[in-house]
Amino acid sequence: MDDPVAQLIAQCAAADRAAFRTLYRDTSAKLMGVLLRMLRERAEAEDALQEVYTRVWLRAGRFDPAKGRGMTWLIAIARNLAIDRLRARPEAHGDDGLETVQDSAPRAETRLIAQGEARRMSDCFATLEPDRADAVRGAYLTGLSYVDLAARHAVPLNTMRTWLRRSLLKLKECLDQ
Amino acid sequence: MTDAPLTPDEDDDALAAEYVLGVLDLAERAEAEARIKRDPAFAARVTGWEMRLAGMNDDFADAPAPNLLPQIEARLFPVAARPAAPRRRFGFGLGWLSGAAIAAVLALATLATLAPPRPELVATLATADNRLAYRITHFGEALQVTRVAGVPAVEGQVHELWIIAPNANPVSLGLLTDRPLVVTYPTPPDGFVFAVSVEPEGGSPTGQPTGPVILTAKVGDA
Repeated sequence: MDDPVAQLIAQCAAADRAAFRTLYRDTSAKLMGVLLRMLRERAEAEDALQEVYTRVWLRAGRFDPAKGRGMTWLIAIARNLAIDRLRARPEAHGDDGLETVQDSAPRAETRLIAQGEARRMSDCFATLEPDRADAVRGAYLTGLSYVDLAARHAVPLNTMRTWLRRSLLKLKECLDQ
Repeated sequence: MTDAPLTPDEDDDALAAEYVLGVLDLAERAEAEARIKRDPAFAARVTGWEMRLAGMNDDFADAPAPNLLPQIEARLFPVAARPAAPRRRFGFGLGWLSGAAIAAVLALATLATLAPPRPELVATLATADNRLAYRITHFGEALQVTRVAGVPAVEGQVHELWIIAPNANPVSLGLLTDRPLVVTYPTPPDGFVFAVSVEPEGGSPTGQPTGPVILTAKVGDA
């Protein structure tokens, strides 16, 4: 499959520094978008971006193109780092969760409606109750924790967890069809 | 909605989804990460969810990123700045030699350059009493880290190796287990510091050392 990002990662695994520069040039804006949205502070996002590309270089040999696209792999590294940093932050940033969840509405689904993957995603989200779909999106895109989600939806944490777990399994059933 | 408990299979799948989604707290997250490393079936579930949820990745809008390559490369490839100058000066000094002699010297130099890389000791990390020691060698494009004395961390914990450039945050090079750790890395320059910290199983959950640092060694002090 045509996947230039995967190709560049494979070259990084072979210690090709020119490919690493190209990879940064071609993908840093996307990863900066991920980090900025989740960490919400530019200085921290920039620091995290350095860490992400350091990891990308050091882990490039573990990338397996059979298990997904290059950009998916890069975003997973960026999201994991952002989530680690969010969870390591001291508690209580409950309020900013409110504003960020609202902007997690499916903007890009309309933009990229032609892409089968994204369209199927939004079709499957439509099978969930709206507030639960919203919770899944809020967690994925802005890094909300169970604690944040429970506060936002005004339900006990365990209830939130039960909801979300069942919603995820339902989502899977739809996506895997 | 039915409240029937999830089957063990569904439960594992839901946990993998929660991990990818990122809703778990720090401790649960560290537990899931440890499981990814020891349980390939669970790791495959995590990969499955990464691909499934990647349908949302288009929702992340691009944001202009400053060019941080110089800082990133300074972390990763510090040797690039190391001068090859002495050799060149040496070459100039050979001007009085005959052409044939220069050719012979160049041929020797080429041979030396083409010779297969030999492991080069970079640093030894050891306790004062030498009861625990790791040896770090550089070979080709990789660092190899081998425990030469002592035992791995106790059950539920792991030794994690870090490299620290001057005035920079530690960067994890990996976890030290029974097998030697091999990681792609250029020759670390003098002044860089290696450190070993004790972390929960699966490694530091934050990307920075969280447990006690038990060993350190500065490159060039060996």
